Amino acid sequence: MSEATTSTETTAGTFEPRIQAFVCNWCTYTGADLAGTSRIPMAPNVRIIRLPCTGRIDTLFILKAFERGADGVIVSGCHPNDCHYAAGNFHARRRFAVFRELIDFLGLDPDRITFSWVSASEGKKWSEIVNDTTERIRRMGPFSAYRGLAGRTP
Amino acid sequence: MKELQDLAAKLLAEKTVGLVIGWEQGPRGARPAFVADPKDAGRLIFDNRCVHNLAAYLSPRRPHLRGFGRIAVAVKGCDVRAVAGLVRESQLKREDVVLLGVRCGGVHDEPTDAGPLTAENLADRCVGCEVREPPRCDHVLGELPPAPPSRDGRRAGRIAELDALDHAARFAFWRQELSRCVRCNACRQVCPLCTCERCLADKTDPPWIESSPHTRANFAWHATRALHLAGRCVDCGECERACPAGIPLNLIGRKVAAVVERRFGYRTTDDPQVPAPIGAWKPDDGQEFIR
Amino acid sequence: MSGEGKKPPMDTDGHRYGKGGEEEKPQMDTDEHRLGEGGGATTRFLGRGDLEKLVAELLGAGTRVVAPVDAGKGETEYRVVGQFTDAKLGAALPRRSLKEFFLPPTEELFRWRRDGAGLELQEAPASFPATVILGAFPCDAAAVQTLDKVMGWDYRDDPWFGRREATTIVALACNGQDGSCFCTAVGLGPDAARGSDLLLTAVRDGYEVQVLTAKGAALVGRHAARFAEACDEDPARNVRREACTRVSSNLQATPEKIRGWLQANFEHPIWKGIALRCHGCGACAAVCPTCHCFDIVDEPEGLAEGARRRNWDTCQTPVFTLHASGHNPRADQNARIRQRLNHKFRIYQERFGELLCTGCGRCARACPGGMDLPELLGALEKLAVSAPVPVPASAPVPAPAGGAFIPPPGGAR
Repeated sequence: MSEATTSTETTAGTFEPRIQAFVCNWCTYTGADLAGTSRIPMAPNVRIIRLPCTGRIDTLFILKAFERGADGVIVSGCHPNDCHYAAGNFHARRRFAVFRELIDFLGLDPDRITFSWVSASEGKKWSEIVNDTTERIRRMGPFSAYRGLAGRTP
Repeated sequence: MKELQDLAAKLLAEKTVGLVIGWEQGPRGARPAFVADPKDAGRLIFDNRCVHNLAAYLSPRRPHLRGFGRIAVAVKGCDVRAVAGLVRESQLKREDVVLLGVRCGGVHDEPTDAGPLTAENLADRCVGCEVREPPRCDHVLGELPPAPPSRDGRRAGRIAELDALDHAARFAFWRQELSRCVRCNACRQVCPLCTCERCLADKTDPPWIESSPHTRANFAWHATRALHLAGRCVDCGECERACPAGIPLNLIGRKVAAVVERRFGYRTTDDPQVPAPIGAWKPDDGQEFIR
Repeated sequence: MSGEGKKPPMDTDGHRYGKGGEEEKPQMDTDEHRLGEGGGATTRFLGRGDLEKLVAELLGAGTRVVAPVDAGKGETEYRVVGQFTDAKLGAALPRRSLKEFFLPPTEELFRWRRDGAGLELQEAPASFPATVILGAFPCDAAAVQTLDKVMGWDYRDDPWFGRREATTIVALACNGQDGSCFCTAVGLGPDAARGSDLLLTAVRDGYEVQVLTAKGAALVGRHAARFAEACDEDPARNVRREACTRVSSNLQATPEKIRGWLQANFEHPIWKGIALRCHGCGACAAVCPTCHCFDIVDEPEGLAEGARRRNWDTCQTPVFTLHASGHNPRADQNARIRQRLNHKFRIYQERFGELLCTGCGRCARACPGGMDLPELLGALEKLAVSAPVPVPASAPVPAPAGGAFIPPPGGAR
């Protein structure tokens, strides 16, 4: 993890994407835990922030991650009808749906973000989400276009 | 107009209200008017330059307008949607305000524009508007005007053009537009639905939205504002009119409204009982973007 | 970097401009505002074709040229131009003033980078591109000179003066824009020379050029072939006189009387109804050539580095004065508009001997709520004339008036 935590460009000159995951405590975090204890091989590029529910994931978290250097973001929680709080993921789904189309309209490629439902038993699915996202972002390259928008003034 | 002036004078004289908010002739075209003395009611006007959405003054963020007691406010048909938004979100009690609905056949873009409405000079939001008669008002005033001249919506055309571009080209467009934003907050302040007592953008610890007006922070600000207004924006166009940098903010608002309508079958309404779409949900909402 | 220095005592509204002794006051300029009335400036003639060639020469030499350019809907903006034909000289007053070329809306002061226990600081570049501002409006050029006072007051603002020194301002006498212009009421005029290095006046086939400063003379000297020696000054003088008359008819005011009235009437009932239509946005301050308040923030970038930036700020928002305790000394929008008027027409004058307003009228044009500074000044002028007060250095503040609602001054001025 060491290189990827501090820099998106490794010393070898190849690009190692930095990916920030926001996951719910009850399903995806447990699923990710299962993936780990099951020793499923996964790309080391993803850092996880655990939140109580996808309903707690403000879309501003995603922009903040890009601002502070993430090249990609994963947002994941419980499948519909599995929410620990009954409807948190239903609320989140509407917000994410609008947010995705909004940033698309503003010219930010929504493929920078993976939205997924991963249950506590889907360790395998989590590893696929991680690996697929890492590969996709690796192909897309660093997201310096966004974080570099705060340039110096002449 | 006489009808509006007389009613305002009467409401003030009998102390039904302590303040009437309407429009008057200012040094630069029409502008908001504040009448507390029945003798001043003669200042009130209504014509096609009265573009301002006066519901903004009903927001709880304006302590200098409290203290007048009940307020009567003049509203066009479209402005009623903003009042309904405030009532829906418990920012205003319907009984605390007297709505003076004015029958409207469309307005100009700017309060300084003058002359009869044509297809050319009509405000874009008035294109295709069918609300001549303001709904849910306490009084409805004025003669029934003809429908606004018809033409194609310019913003809809512009949005379609942008949608047809690739990400890089759209990004270049918005980077150029948003680079001019100096975060004066005029868009937020004139918005009748931006009612938060403390705006997210004013929070400094942590600074959720960077306060510097560089383009990155401007993206975060305008994206967040648009999202917070999803399903709430009443398309009064005040943000774009107020913007001293001339940024086409309406394009963002309209785009989001179109997304909300397509996905959730919802349009902003003058009925305060209908719940807003963000905050509500359906089990079968589309999730084609979720793995 | 923080440059706190000594804090002068607070006055009634908590602003930081103390009433210091004479020695604290900066040297006042003895500039004449109206040229052509005994000013000793040299004049030249610049033909239209020569102006185009001049711009090409400047650009060829790597000088940055800023001029009003078309911004759609009949409006213009000052922008860096790549060729002469981009410039739209003498058209509409640009949407925003010149101040952003000296005090950008956001500006990096330095960057930091943490490396283990170490901290590395990187100062912002201290050199600025050589710039010529062509077709500046006299109200905007004057504002820059007015702001030199506060920028060089208790702390010399290096980025401000760095950009000032790198920039030559070539103003073009204005014809007056519309009914919101009131430069003549604040001691300037559509032909004011203040703050400009060269002042052009459009005459047939070209421009009369008044050379006002050494910097202006240097520019003329470097491009001597472009400037003809003599110019018949009468046509230019007539053009300027007509413009002055036009603008003067918008508003007559005596700033000195208004200042005295403001000094004595901090609690006057007019303030209680002054800002009902004001939305409390900062559009007026954003477009104002003289509003110069800024905020300083530290913004992290990535995990171990970040930048300290300073950004435009405005007294029109509640957070400008909000205390950590939750108390806000300026309770509502009425108090904020009172502050704006006081700062522009009393406080800055007391501190620096100048009005913090050049009468460009942008605030009135930009206001979404129809607040109108020339109208308010007209109303204050009436009050000041009808109830003149002596102008002592510090008049006692009268007791607070009752809560009577005074409708905002209405009607045409």
